[in-house]
Order: sequence, then C-alpha cells, then structure tokens
Amino acid sequence: MVGLVLVAFFVVLAVSKPREEADVASPLIGNPAPSVRSTLVGEGDFDLSRRKGSWVVLNFFNSTCVPCRNEHPELVAFADEQAGLGDGAELFSVINDDTDEAVSAFFAEKGGDWDKVRDPDGTIAVAFGVAKVPETWVIDPSGFVRMRVVGEVTNSFLSGRIDSMRAMMSGSGS
Amino acid sequence: MAVLTVGLLAFGATRSSGPSTQEERIDAISKRLACPTCSGESIYVSRASAAESIRNEIARQVAAGQRGDNEIVAFIESRFPGSLLLPPTEGVDSLVWVLPVVALVCGFGGLVVVFRRWQREGRARANPDDADIVAAALREHDDPTDGL
Repeated sequence: MVGLVLVAFFVVLAVSKPREEADVASPLIGNPAPSVRSTLVGEGDFDLSRRKGSWVVLNFFNSTCVPCRNEHPELVAFADEQAGLGDGAELFSVINDDTDEAVSAFFAEKGGDWDKVRDPDGTIAVAFGVAKVPETWVIDPSGFVRMRVVGEVTNSFLSGRIDSMRAMMSGSGS
Repeated sequence: MAVLTVGLLAFGATRSSGPSTQEERIDAISKRLACPTCSGESIYVSRASAAESIRNEIARQVAAGQRGDNEIVAFIESRFPGSLLLPPTEGVDSLVWVLPVVALVCGFGGLVVVFRRWQREGRARANPDDADIVAAALREHDDPTDGL
C-alpha cells in the first residue's frame, strides 16, 4: 500500500506541469528602476541608467540552478529574435551567487553571447527584491520597471509581452 | 528611599541604550528581518545566499549613514514583503503591541469587579424565612428519629 502511494506520488510529480509564466507584483513595477552599476564578466562596466532608450531585460541566474538551465535555450532564442529587430530588447544576465569561471563555462557550452553582469555582494538582487533565481525583469526605454517574472520564462512569453507593451506605449505616445 | 529605588529600577529597565556601533546596528536590524528563502530564520542567523546579500545591503546602508534603522528595515521590507519578524512599533501597527496589554488590563479589572460583587453578595444577611429553614435543618440533624 505504501509502495502504491509512493508510486502515485512520483507519477504526479513526473506528469505535473510547471507553473505558468505570469507577471508578479512588485512595488518597483511602474517606478524608476533601481540604480545598477557593476562590471561585466570579461571586461567592461554596466550602468543601467545608460541603457535608457532601449528595452532592457535583466535575467537573474545561476549556472547551477536547474530552472535557469532549463530556460537558457529560450533566452538564446529571445536574444537572437531581438537582435533581428531594429529596436530589439537588450538582454543581460545578472549573476547570482556564482563565479565568473562557472558562468563563462556555462555560456561556452550552452550558447548566448549577451553580457553577464557581476553582482558579487548581491546588491543588484536586493535592489530588485530577488531572493531566488531565475527571475526576469523588463525595463522600458524610459528606465521604468514594467514587468517581473519569477521562475522560468519562454521566448514567446517574453517577446509577446514586450511587443504588447511597446505597442501600448507607442499608441499612448501618438 | 524605596520610591527612589523603584524609580531607578523602572528607568533602568525601560531605558533603551540602542546599538552604539555600526556592527551592533547591523546585527540589530538583521535580527528584525526574516530570511526570504529559509523558513523561520532571521537574516542575522541565516547563512543563505539571499540572507547574506541582504546583510551586505544593510551594512552598506548603515555605513552610508543616510537612513535610520527603521528606514533600512522598511526598505528591505519593501523589496521582500513579509520579511518583518516583529510588527512595527509605530503608527497603526503599534496596536498589535498595545491591544494585548489593554485586553489584559480590562480582563483583570473585570475580574476585580466580579470578585467584589461576589464578596458583597456573600455578606448578605439571612431573612427570617432563611433562619427558619436553617433551624429546621438543625433540629432534624440533632434528632434523626424526630421525623419518623
């Protein structure tokens, strides 16, 4: 009987679908993004305020977290798709509790040539209220936070939401 | 002398010296906040990555000296809702602290009133009918065959 219950439990776990992607509330939504200044893996600096004029996607990740590894192909597809657009969004990975070496090895293996932002003491994560990875944040060209997604994200969801926000903003601006 | 002693003891017990160094401030603030990724642990105790990041942020803000302890706690709570381990002691939230004391005082006062009322009722004098009943009962007790 106990064995039957255990088998049923594992079957439920195996066939259950992961949580649907959805926006998650945050007091930052609709407000100016926190100030983010750091350095990039490899070389270069990162200053979020200097990205104004572009849609910016910050993906908080860790190379050992399973959901982060699962969503990576989707982020690669998203980055490729946005690169083909004239005003495509800029994707940045924010490294959460991980080393440069591990992150570089992960990207070398899995692909993706966007910039990786260091966050050695967790300042960026705390500024956005990120406790667990992956989390994805979208910041509009004016520097306002527009969306937060907790957990895995897909290319279609991210692109679709940014497209609709872009259309809404261009509609309200005209 | 006794009054002076009690007064000094009360003053000493209620006086809040507050943290004096930056480290003490960081510890005091960390103890007021819950780790967002671990159940039932404070930022002060937890060794989780998120807790360390928050502790670093607290240390950074304390070192910057631009925010008071309550402001730093409010900032962290705004980023990680539900991270307060203790309710605030200011504003409407302070009722959480005050109401139990008020309820205790009211309950104690109610008990005092009820006990006094019972005491007053206990002192009530017996009327003649009561005295007759008692006398009859005593007679019956002294001579059990009397009623046969």
